[in-house]
Amino acid sequence: MNEKEFGSFEEIQDMSNISRILKESKQAILVKDWMKLKNLSNQTIHSATIHQDPVNIVIAVLVYSFSKVLQRESYQRMKEWDLFYKYILENWDLMINASQKNKKQELLNYAGEIRNYLNNMTGNLGEYIKDIFRKAEINKAFKLYEHGISSAQTAELLGISLWDLASYIGQSNIYETHVNNKISEKQRIKLIEDFFK
Amino acid sequence: MKFLIFDAGPIISLTMSGLLQVLEKLKKDFKGEFIITNAVKREVIDRPYKNKKYKLESIQVQNLLDKGILKLSSEFVDENKLNKETDKILKRANSVLQTTYNKKKIKLIQEGEATCLAFANLCEGESVIVVDERNTRLLGEAPEKLEALMERKLHTLLDFNSEFAQITNKYKMIRSTELMYLAFKKNLLNLEKDIETLDAILYSLKFNGTAISSEEIEEIKRLTKK
Repeated sequence: MNEKEFGSFEEIQDMSNISRILKESKQAILVKDWMKLKNLSNQTIHSATIHQDPVNIVIAVLVYSFSKVLQRESYQRMKEWDLFYKYILENWDLMINASQKNKKQELLNYAGEIRNYLNNMTGNLGEYIKDIFRKAEINKAFKLYEHGISSAQTAELLGISLWDLASYIGQSNIYETHVNNKISEKQRIKLIEDFFK
Repeated sequence: MKFLIFDAGPIISLTMSGLLQVLEKLKKDFKGEFIITNAVKREVIDRPYKNKKYKLESIQVQNLLDKGILKLSSEFVDENKLNKETDKILKRANSVLQTTYNKKKIKLIQEGEATCLAFANLCEGESVIVVDERNTRLLGEAPEKLEALMERKLHTLLDFNSEFAQITNKYKMIRSTELMYLAFKKNLLNLEKDIETLDAILYSLKFNGTAISSEEIEEIKRLTKK
């Protein structure tokens, strides 16, 4: 079945934003501007919290991961680098094309191919990059969570374990924000004490 | 019959804090059942069992199920009925808030949490839900407060659907912290019963995912002194 090329106005608008992020990221990858990539990733995560859709999240993780990869200049001197870099740029173009045609699933497939390529990379560079991606996923999960998305929803969107997320949530200070709870601690404790009588 | 229903979060934070076995002692003191739904079981037993990092933890939870300390919701409520009720709750709960700008519905809860609410609706008896997630707790107790909170977090204007919110606003909920406070008061922890132990327990749960502020922890500690 052919993928639908035209969605609702908001879907098209969102895909146009993703397309912009991908194009600007490509330029940043070419000039190895990791700060710019980091900023672009942050822009994407804001959209991701509203839309809660996998495309924004996948792109946020990819862009953030590459900001981290490019930040470590020593990686660029490793023997597997040229092959890796060429593969990424080629697939980045494919993702840009898919986003311009509003083909969401195709875009996700190309992003998935990049992940598969990385998972199959051997040697030191492969191990380092896999580690960066894993940490990027947790980092973005944490950002989503800080934007008010529930832990279960965050875990599902990123395909990570609730167990992994739990200890990261604990490091967050988001619960220090005062929320005027309807039920006080005293009432809540009374509730459970009475329930156990 | 009384039912204490556990969401995945509290089981995870209790396990990661080394407090899971306290449930066994609490159960002896409780005239009712400790419940997990199949969706929660998937999160706390089935999925972590496949991940070597958390396999031991999943076996510890399974052990509580084998001993009958935790029981599956399907022993008390038909699974098909629970699934239908869960679908209804998911639809309602995830329609409570939508963006003002483009009417995009904000997903507030997931299947695991929704099955806990569904079981509370269907079980024949009194129930309390143990849930560490703030969104679910606010949705179940004070959904009107969610609007301001989520607007601040998402940096966008939201519309609140009070009709849907009324349907979700009727549950009794506690966190793993209040449950462990009870265990502390009942002296079930095999630890010195002093304020430092309580402080350590509450902060451990916080650092392992329970949505509680330092201010609330201090409030619990003050209650002990009274």
